[in-house]
Amino acid sequence: MHVQNVKRIYRTSILVVLIALPLFVIPASTQNPAPTGVLRLRVRVKIGETSKGLARKRFYLIKGTLEQNRAILDAAKDKSVITRDCFYSKLGASPALIDWLKAGDCESIYCREVEPESLKTVPEFATAYVAAEKEYGNAEIGRKWLSNNIQPELRDGFYRQRQNVLQDLLKQAEAQSGAPVLSVMTDRNGTAYFTDLTPGNYVLTNLLPDEVGPAMASWNCDVQIKPGDIATEKPYQVSNRKDKNVKCVAVEEPLPACK
Amino acid sequence: MKLTKRQLGSVILLLVSASYAFQNRRTPPKPAPVDYSKFSHRTPKHQGECNTCHKIPSRGWQKASTFPDIADYPGHDACVSCHRNQFFKGVRPVICSVCHPKTSPREEARYPFRNPATKLQFTIEFPHDRHQDVIALLQKPPTQRVAHHADNAQSYNNCTICHGERSIPAAVTWPDSYVPRAETFKSSPTGHGSCFNCHWKNQEPVATNCNGCHKLAPSPFSSLMPQRISLKFMHEGGGDKKVHIAECTTCHINITKSATLRGLKPDVPITACSECHNREGLRQDVSKELAAIDKNKAFACVYCHTSDVGSLDPPASHYLIAERPPLKRKEIK
Repeated sequence: MHVQNVKRIYRTSILVVLIALPLFVIPASTQNPAPTGVLRLRVRVKIGETSKGLARKRFYLIKGTLEQNRAILDAAKDKSVITRDCFYSKLGASPALIDWLKAGDCESIYCREVEPESLKTVPEFATAYVAAEKEYGNAEIGRKWLSNNIQPELRDGFYRQRQNVLQDLLKQAEAQSGAPVLSVMTDRNGTAYFTDLTPGNYVLTNLLPDEVGPAMASWNCDVQIKPGDIATEKPYQVSNRKDKNVKCVAVEEPLPACK
Repeated sequence: MKLTKRQLGSVILLLVSASYAFQNRRTPPKPAPVDYSKFSHRTPKHQGECNTCHKIPSRGWQKASTFPDIADYPGHDACVSCHRNQFFKGVRPVICSVCHPKTSPREEARYPFRNPATKLQFTIEFPHDRHQDVIALLQKPPTQRVAHHADNAQSYNNCTICHGERSIPAAVTWPDSYVPRAETFKSSPTGHGSCFNCHWKNQEPVATNCNGCHKLAPSPFSSLMPQRISLKFMHEGGGDKKVHIAECTTCHINITKSATLRGLKPDVPITACSECHNREGLRQDVSKELAAIDKNKAFACVYCHTSDVGSLDPPASHYLIAERPPLKRKEIK
């Protein structure tokens, strides 16, 4: 009888411990989240004799080392790229539209407001404006809404075709690395932050080469993230020129010929 | 036959249970009466194609809007097709009060569309990352620069397309009786104006694809003001030179990676402030207040904060930029 009681108490104790265990384990893990890190990018490029922050360019952070992500980086390298000017000129865009896009480093017509002056100089805008004004019955709405009346390919075709390629590559990268690919865009000074990063090895990349002056620049670098807020320390410097402070240097190639 | 007490108890229990079950069978629970003064998109029959009821643009949009818009309630046809009984019930049918402040056959006046007094039923889907990609040009092209044009003026396409200056929110009690100036805040879109510039037609989600942006929320909710941590910061401030007017993503560092509004936080690191406000030889606004806490642990930091925030322990990041180890107030003697 006594032995049976002891066994019963023992069994009950184990059950209580097993049931209660998650109550202690789960709150402990939620109260003390794993420490994360920050990567502060500063991207500066030299074009001719001028150095400047590389503005409005998107960078990606893929989990794993360069070696572990070799297949996806090779796949990205194999993608054929085309310059913005070439893309739109092949579509038959007017030189005025190509110049308008180039003046603002725009991949699509959305990137800046079409000012009244441009309605006179860019034929595509003039045609869309006439149609929009007629449709909406108002000159100001006609101008502000003219992107609704421009052929989609001329409107943002270059951006969309790059996005299609990028999205394919990102899917592959996520499948291969088993983690979401993070991305940020640089501000006007070429600064951008990746935050809440799980410590470990990553690849910093722009996946598809970007037009930087007369060249196409590709960045693919190993980055090690350590726990702690390093946003207040020295930024991780990225450039197209070697320098003692630069940690990630671009591989540059001439702009591809427009065939 | 004589029943024992236990048997008698069982028989009584059986009879009570049977009686209860019988009563329940005869009087099934009545459904709650429908409140026809309240319209809900959660009602399954109110979840058809949007243009079944909402005409795009609304008839006579010119009276309510400067652009083609969904600016008014659906016409009577949209309701009468199912609610004929409610429509012609009594002198003042309750159902009319969904749209009309006064219910009378001769009263056409309607609440503003949408009625700001009612709770919101839809959340908005907006990918900041994609919009950052295509808009938000950094500066005017060189050929269009104007002499004396302030470099930090935001007259180009950028976040201000949607987030302009806003007036001080009414009916809010501020901590310390502090009344922020209008330059403190930025607005959020409350209409279709900035969306339809590009999304009226051709570029999805277009105006007729309401579900592209409006997602039915699990339950109605009130619009929430974002919590202000540094209430004394003014977006349009920064002295005579208005140096606070910068590219938005310079300070709001997580916007360019944000694919949804869910869980979106303003996320401004202290380094965005300290480059000017805690710089050797320039200003020491953070370091000074941390030093004041050393002398008096009850000191409230008030340069950026109101006392509700300024009385808390300064975060480690603030000590880091002041190049000091973090401290808790309770550790100060």
